[in-house]
Amino acid sequence: MINWSLIISKLPLFWQGLNLSLAIACLSCLIGLIVGIPFGIILTSRLPLRYPVSAYVLVVRGTPMLIQIFFFMYGLPHLGIRLAPFWYAVLAIGFNSAAYVSQIVRSGIQAIQKGQTEAAHVLGLSRIQAMFYIILPQALRITFPAFGNEFVNLIKDSSLASTIGVMELTRTGQIAISSSYDALTIYAGIGICYLVVTSSLTILLHLIEKRMNLYVKN
Amino acid sequence: MLKINGISKSFNGRSVLKDVYLSIHKGNIAILLGSSGVGKSTLLRILNNLETADSGSVILNGDTLDLTLVNKNHTVGLVFQQFNLFDHLTVEENIMLPLEKTAGKSADQARTIAHELLAHYGLADKANVYPAQLSGGQKQRLAIARAVALRPKILCFDEPTSALDPLLTAHVATSIQELARQDYIVLVATHDTTLVEKLDCTIYLMKNGSIIATVSSKDFYLNRQAYPQVDQFLAGIIEDVENAPSKNASV
Repeated sequence: MINWSLIISKLPLFWQGLNLSLAIACLSCLIGLIVGIPFGIILTSRLPLRYPVSAYVLVVRGTPMLIQIFFFMYGLPHLGIRLAPFWYAVLAIGFNSAAYVSQIVRSGIQAIQKGQTEAAHVLGLSRIQAMFYIILPQALRITFPAFGNEFVNLIKDSSLASTIGVMELTRTGQIAISSSYDALTIYAGIGICYLVVTSSLTILLHLIEKRMNLYVKN
Repeated sequence: MLKINGISKSFNGRSVLKDVYLSIHKGNIAILLGSSGVGKSTLLRILNNLETADSGSVILNGDTLDLTLVNKNHTVGLVFQQFNLFDHLTVEENIMLPLEKTAGKSADQARTIAHELLAHYGLADKANVYPAQLSGGQKQRLAIARAVALRPKILCFDEPTSALDPLLTAHVATSIQELARQDYIVLVATHDTTLVEKLDCTIYLMKNGSIIATVSSKDFYLNRQAYPQVDQFLAGIIEDVENAPSKNASV
């Protein structure tokens, strides 16, 4: 059923696509963190800004990522922003990730015991100092596994970029199918590529998590 | 001298503190004694600007304290019941961070102060470990060191021995007594009779948000019968002072 020699012959092509998939995931992750962490902090605050941020999270989480990619692809040029499809994918996936990251950060902050904030307050730290020196470092640590999952999801989500012609892993597979006519083998091949990367990453993240947990071990 | 003048506080219409007055001289220890829920911790939280009093004032050395500034000015320090150490920071960083960020100390100055205090409290070899790796007694000492590092004029302890065994309670009592000798004004909220027995202090017995009896520990232990409410509470005859004789021997 599966032609292994065909998969092996296509590995150089898959490798090129995988590099682009990882680039999309990394850049999207960066946008997700840069936008999502402040959003998460805002969501736990009493600032009026929390209302538009909540609305943003509602919209992003309530619509399919594919629609969001098309929205960026066909919407941004109307605003005079013309980019390569790769960048539309990065922006769409990144801003989608920001909504999820904001929820991770919010839950992390809310999980920190009130006593930590009170101790910071009594010791004279301002609210901002307490957030950056006491609350956020602990919140990010406890949410690290969720961040890891989010990054793994981004790698898989990057396959949606194939719909706008970005030559990432899934798209290279589609190209390979058009020449080999063996869809099952090619999809099995790229599935294995995704699996190897996400499994390796999961193990790596688990090891990092264990090191980070050092200070809570008694 | 610290004077608490008519502090009152209610939560959702329920009165927790009712017109509390007390005064403590520099170098003295005030014990706020009473069962859970009588308002001891609330009074300490008001002093530390963690709650706002509905009425009343606090006077330190003749000047009315603006309680909203006591944290920033390091006028008051608090050792929490649960210690509230910063788990993501090492032992020395727990002391250094407030010194650097709020007291204007350089990293070197803060480290020097931290190491002096850690040595004083027997934690010199624990400087680079995390609080989770400390025993209960060590955490307590670190919490005291962190509060003392900022040199507040008033030091508050909220149930400092609730998580400690009798031996460690004795150590904490020694530390508190030593701080009083260093001219701190010390307030301790507790229901631990063992701790009270070990301190040279003034006992303020609280009931339903009010101070119902005041007596120095020296006077009390000379003639316990003269102070029946305090006596019965400390003797553990009654959990609350609800049924104690109404005769009050306040000083």
